[in-house]
Amino acid sequence: MATITETPAVRQAPERQRIGHASSLRVVRVLWYREVLAYSRDPARIISSMVMPVLMIVIFGEGFGRTINTFDEGINYRQFIFPGVIVMTVLFNSVFSGVSIIWDREFGFLREILVAPISRTSIGLGKLLGGASIAVSHGIVMFAFAPILGVHFSVLVIIELIAVLFLFSLVMTSVGIAIASRVKSVESFQMISQVTIMPSMFLSGIFFPVNNLPGWMEVLVKINPVTYAVAPIREIGLDKELIATAGQSVVGVELFGHTLSVLESLGIVAAFGVLMFTIAIQSFRKQA
Amino acid sequence: MESNGHTPAGQPAIEVIELSKRFGDFTAVDGISFEVPRGEIFGFLGPNGAGKTTTISMLCTLLKPTSGRATIGGYDVERQSSQVRREIGIVFQDTTLDDRLTARENLIFHGEVYGMSRGDIVTRAADVLERVGLTDRAGDRVLTFSGGMKRRLEIARGLMHSPTALFLDEPTVGLDPQSRRGLWSYAQSLRDTEGVTIFLTTHYMDEAEACDRIAVIDNGTIIALDTPSGLKGRLGGDVITVSAADNEKLGAEIKERFQIEPRAEADGLEFRVDRGDQFVPTLFARLETPIDTVQVRRPTLDDVFVELTGHQIRDTGAGEAEQARYMMMRRPMGMGAARRPGAGRRGPR
Repeated sequence: MATITETPAVRQAPERQRIGHASSLRVVRVLWYREVLAYSRDPARIISSMVMPVLMIVIFGEGFGRTINTFDEGINYRQFIFPGVIVMTVLFNSVFSGVSIIWDREFGFLREILVAPISRTSIGLGKLLGGASIAVSHGIVMFAFAPILGVHFSVLVIIELIAVLFLFSLVMTSVGIAIASRVKSVESFQMISQVTIMPSMFLSGIFFPVNNLPGWMEVLVKINPVTYAVAPIREIGLDKELIATAGQSVVGVELFGHTLSVLESLGIVAAFGVLMFTIAIQSFRKQA
Repeated sequence: MESNGHTPAGQPAIEVIELSKRFGDFTAVDGISFEVPRGEIFGFLGPNGAGKTTTISMLCTLLKPTSGRATIGGYDVERQSSQVRREIGIVFQDTTLDDRLTARENLIFHGEVYGMSRGDIVTRAADVLERVGLTDRAGDRVLTFSGGMKRRLEIARGLMHSPTALFLDEPTVGLDPQSRRGLWSYAQSLRDTEGVTIFLTTHYMDEAEACDRIAVIDNGTIIALDTPSGLKGRLGGDVITVSAADNEKLGAEIKERFQIEPRAEADGLEFRVDRGDQFVPTLFARLETPIDTVQVRRPTLDDVFVELTGHQIRDTGAGEAEQARYMMMRRPMGMGAARRPGAGRRGPR
């Protein structure tokens, strides 16, 4: 057996022949690329994640649209829920993108990443950006419904929508990563995600205006961060004249007697995002 | 091939000093020490639960040692984990490939996160694919690969960044005999061409034979460390296996006539003598019990293991250490979970 008598000195900066220290930016980029590449090879997932929003627009839009005449002046019901369904699409796909962490764990690939000489923070960031990109791309696909529903998106509106959706998606992907880092199985992830997504979807003003609700419900709606993403998307996405005819209160969120502007709403989303991002990265770093 | 000149010559590739790991009350690894010089194929042989995977996990910076220390290429696994990670390539027991990506894409990903330059990634990927005989499958998705091909690809990936040491944890488990043999010739040619140090764990005796040196580990301690022939040399002589219609009677007679205590094995009674060729005629001449079969052979590592530990290597099932490994890896245990769309699930082993 080897005989060791002295502790060898800890060595300092090595000369590298072929490998250097991958910059965090590069690591984030390659992790992002891998998420997107792997996803693009999964047509089943791409198609199945489009089913729900399409059903919502067609069934809710047509079914409820016939009976709900609240906004006959200006906006019809289908137009009203359309921006909300875009947000919903991004919401679902963002949170569910966290499942890739569990699959990576289950299929072993996560260990290949975790033993690499890279920081867990960059890994988490790569996952976050990858998941958000995929989720936003789903939202963008929904834009195709605009002409059918009589909503006009200018190039500027599209750019603004994408920017807001991306911000929102980063927030909700953080939620997904935080959940995925703490649960072990795909089943529990799906369960916890559903429980998170469903109330935040229904209590966010996607399907109804948020300002004339019963008191208890209004409280729930207004503590729900998703509410503050739906309002700006709707305000940006719908024609100004339509909104003007229907009344600002159909679109904006009133908080303490003040109707929030787009930027104010987004500020709330961003603040919640910083919180969720911190939790997500912390949870991801802590997992084995 | 170019040498991987990360570490100064003379510095051992792996150095382990009084390394221990405890999980609660259970001691998985109990103060082991050894040194692996550069370019050696070093085998860690022991039954499941002996502490092999726990040791490899500590060397690969995945588990914190409870006490003791270890260095890879001179870097401390605890204090310089980032440097250590660059010095090592790892092939885990379970596949860790992204099967939605192609073989080449898996290698490129690896090169990127290990900070290799773009040019190096391309040439090195072609190089290592060639080495493991996967050049013509480079553009195919891993999904379509057999178990043996996946393992070879993982070895290629482990070599991408020219590590000082390549760790293989039970590399041939789950492979068919042909793939197992192929893997061994790859391992040996890699050592010869790349000069890489190979550290592997196994519970197969025949695999351990191919190592330069073997550490026999049982219950978390190293009970022997030598070359395969050195270990076998410790036993000396030949192993004789005899069987009769009544083995019990035969055993009693052997004990009485030759003062040898034979051990009951599946195919008869086994014992060791110095010169098998000379002993067999004497055996026949002096025994009254009719003998059905007799077999004379050189001792194998199996015999060494039995001699050292008093039990067969395959006796021990998955024990506490195995459970500890699962806890540590935090792998979901539930099978039949929702499938990842478009991906085949690994079969249970």
